[in-house]
Amino acid sequence: MINKTLYKLDWKFFIPLIVLIGIGLISVYSACTKYETVKYFVTQLISCLLGSLACFFLSKCHYQMYKKFSVLIYIISLLLLCSVLIFGTLKRGTKGWLNLGLISLQPVEIAKIMFILAISAFFDKNWKQANHIYFLIISLMLLSGHVMLIMLQPDFSSTLSYFPIMMILFFVIGVKCFYLLCIVLLVVITIGIPLLKTFTLMYVEHFNKNTLLTNVLTFCQNINVRLVTALIIFILLLIIWWVLHKLKIKFSISYPIILGCTFILGNILAIPVDNSLKNYQKKRFIVFLNPKIDSKGFGYNIIQSKIAIGSGQFVGKGLRRGTQTQLGFLPEQHTDFIFSLIGEEGGWIMAQCTIIFYLIFIWRILLIAKESKDLYGSLVAIGFATMFMFYAVINIGMTMGLMPVTGMPLLLISYGGSSMVSSLCAVGILRSIYSQSHDYY
Amino acid sequence: MWRNSDEQIYYKNFINKYNFIFVLFIILFILLSIRLFFLQIIKGKQYVIISERQRIFSRYEHAPRGIIYSADNVVLAENKFTYAILFYTQQNQNKLINKLNDFLENEINLYSTNNIFTKFTYNLSMAEVLKILERKANPNNFMVLKEAHRIYHNPKAISHIIGYISEIKRNELQLGYNNIGDYVGRGGIEQSYNDYLKGTNGQLQIEVNAKGLQTKVFKYIPPTIGADVYSTIDISLQKVAYNALKQSSTGRGAVVVLDIKTGAIKVLVSSPGFNINKMSTNQFNKYCLDKSAPFFNRAIQGIYSPGSIFKIITLIAAMEALNINKSDIIHCPGYFKLGNRHYLCWYKSGHGKVNLIDAIALSCNVYFYQLGVQLSINTLIKYAKMFFINSKTGIDLPNEKRGFIPTPTWKYNKLHTSWFQGDTAIFAVGQGALGVTVLQMAYIMSGIANNGIFYQPYSVDRIIHNGKIIYKHIKKYKQIDLSRTTLQLIQKALFEVVEHGTGIKCKLNSVKIAGKTGTAQNSRGKPHAWFVSYAPVNNPEIAIAVIVENGGSGGTNAVPISKQIYKSYFKLK
Repeated sequence: MINKTLYKLDWKFFIPLIVLIGIGLISVYSACTKYETVKYFVTQLISCLLGSLACFFLSKCHYQMYKKFSVLIYIISLLLLCSVLIFGTLKRGTKGWLNLGLISLQPVEIAKIMFILAISAFFDKNWKQANHIYFLIISLMLLSGHVMLIMLQPDFSSTLSYFPIMMILFFVIGVKCFYLLCIVLLVVITIGIPLLKTFTLMYVEHFNKNTLLTNVLTFCQNINVRLVTALIIFILLLIIWWVLHKLKIKFSISYPIILGCTFILGNILAIPVDNSLKNYQKKRFIVFLNPKIDSKGFGYNIIQSKIAIGSGQFVGKGLRRGTQTQLGFLPEQHTDFIFSLIGEEGGWIMAQCTIIFYLIFIWRILLIAKESKDLYGSLVAIGFATMFMFYAVINIGMTMGLMPVTGMPLLLISYGGSSMVSSLCAVGILRSIYSQSHDYY
Repeated sequence: MWRNSDEQIYYKNFINKYNFIFVLFIILFILLSIRLFFLQIIKGKQYVIISERQRIFSRYEHAPRGIIYSADNVVLAENKFTYAILFYTQQNQNKLINKLNDFLENEINLYSTNNIFTKFTYNLSMAEVLKILERKANPNNFMVLKEAHRIYHNPKAISHIIGYISEIKRNELQLGYNNIGDYVGRGGIEQSYNDYLKGTNGQLQIEVNAKGLQTKVFKYIPPTIGADVYSTIDISLQKVAYNALKQSSTGRGAVVVLDIKTGAIKVLVSSPGFNINKMSTNQFNKYCLDKSAPFFNRAIQGIYSPGSIFKIITLIAAMEALNINKSDIIHCPGYFKLGNRHYLCWYKSGHGKVNLIDAIALSCNVYFYQLGVQLSINTLIKYAKMFFINSKTGIDLPNEKRGFIPTPTWKYNKLHTSWFQGDTAIFAVGQGALGVTVLQMAYIMSGIANNGIFYQPYSVDRIIHNGKIIYKHIKKYKQIDLSRTTLQLIQKALFEVVEHGTGIKCKLNSVKIAGKTGTAQNSRGKPHAWFVSYAPVNNPEIAIAVIVENGGSGGTNAVPISKQIYKSYFKLK
């Protein structure tokens, strides 16, 4: 029996998983000081075991069940998110934690898994209408249910993690690339404008000088200037369409109109986004472009993290010997900045290994998607792959100063019970998809 | 492979997109890997330096300077130790200060602050520090710094010979030789012997964590005190000289007392002095603006017209070059006629018939005008150079100036007129552009008293470090050739000056003194009062040069100062 189970295990999938979790456990152990060992390391160990149990249990369940109960799953996820708003406790300005006596839970992590299951079911049911605009609108509405509730916490970075998952799933199901482009553009303009504004202000304030770029950006801060620019782009697009039309290159006039509207809408939407985001959120988000403009505030983490990774050099400083981490220069070293700790204490070898193992892990998930016996399985697998992927890219990028500082953990490695358990749940579901595709009845 | 036949058609499309996604993911990971490689392998060394810099905190402990003693082992400059406390900079500093002040029952102030440390006050005593250490239950961590402060005794009297210390300037910093915040001697012995006095700085290297708290000590080298300098200053004589100068008519002037047999500086005073104990920036600026120029070392930097005291050299020149002797008599009608100009004697009705001894005792100008004209300018210049007026004495104090001898070429270059006989006459009585320093005059007197042997003046006799003598002054001398009769005659003439002549106010019953007064005309108001002398005549011990700036007549202003010094030196009442 055991032999059969072991034989059936996809070792190419589980070895990277176990290695990643092992690296995570060692790093968390190294990150905690003498007195915190129990607090962090043991918690992490327990959540690993719990997650493995859940993983095992879910891998035995038939994943078609999720498709059947997708509406229920979606409603439960909404209820979870609502409950955290009502019963949740405030931690670092975010109401994202449910306190259940012994353990505290972060429902966002679980809701994300449930959302992927539910939206995949919706896509699976309606994939033939994928080119239809109504399909797009309904799925965006499903998304906004989650996003709104999370924004109320407010947890800005978690909402962002939905975005790439949604985009990739849209792409896979066959939504027109043009629509996807418009959505990406809309989001970039809506969020980019307030952030760039904040960055310009900070830059000018810190360096006491204006560059050409900051002058242009300051000029563009006026909403009227921006709207006029958007209108000009709109008209330009129409002219280009007309010229191309004359040249007998024919396509629908709706393309330039939608694109132009995106520009204008983005500019208008930027105003409420700008108002709703708190100043510190914007600063924290944009400071990565040049951490020196706020080297003692929000830039501090990035600067210290870069120093930590860089000073690891080829072989690293050795376990529990990292000066940046052990002397407390690096904040959040057991959660968000755990990759910096790996880079410092394990050096380039360990950090590169972590990245490679992550890639192998995600490659195996994608293979599951390829070999799944139905569309639903593929969609769920691709959703999870994207989730793991973008969490990793954003987190690792953040520690190296390439990405904005968000509260995204490095899944499977960072300290955090909820994220560990939910990732292992995802692994369980993937396992179920894999085993079904290899069982020929 | 999807098994639903309906979806089969779509599968090929899906595979294309799947490949696209896979490639996208690989590209993202490659980007991350490139960045990782860049940070760790290419820029790694720089980041190592940055991380070391923020965790290792090095500090220098400034070494206390060596102690300076006088000739009779009286301490002139020493160190007082005070303690300062370093706190880790925190939010509620004012509260902390108040708390400290409460239990110290004192008023201590915040001295300076930076990112890591806040320094409180310099002037804590040991008792107060112990009081704070006892209360270390106080959760705020702090360090105690021991700091040495220079203390001078009789600061104003010794200000010019000892000098003072101040913080090192940026352009004086040399790597591995001195550190920021070191104190450096300025002027006097503090500057000349800075290398011996400064000691070796201690070093402290600790590891600090992000909060700035000490976690480890890497190394600690305690500072070593500088070497002890034994100067040649006679502090009681120095005080007498300074007070006498201070009480003179203008209070400005200088005194140099040389030991004739060795060249040791017994007294070097320039008045007004300044308080070297309190050299704050404020005080410094005040001294700079003071019209009486306290920073100006009149003894070695001031170039004064010598006036009548130069007659000593003119007379020696005449005796050597013209072979004049006691029997040569000149008539002084009160003026000297040269061409159609009259050069006056200071005694308007004239001295009548004078020989060379009367001439120097009464300081008869007409006698020396005649000698000057007979000698010609080149001989006079030769003899002035022979007495080292245009060279430095080589004293071990910084910024010594040399005297000035005008020559016909110099005059031509400056005024474009030729040298007249009148200029020679004026030169012969020490007026005109001729300039000497007070130290040079004392040096010349010591040479004459010592029968032509000039010992090089020095202010530091020996330097002792850890009981070992690491520096000992070696006597150096220069000798000039003068005939025995000339020396005897000039010494007799100078003795007559004090016995019967212009220097009579210095006459002491038990000690025979020889000297020469001078009243040097100058462009800045009243003439400078000069008196150069040595004693005792038979077996000379000390030579004194005194100048009182704008003091008027030398006989009434400079001479009494010398008398007080002699009285103190020979322990007379």
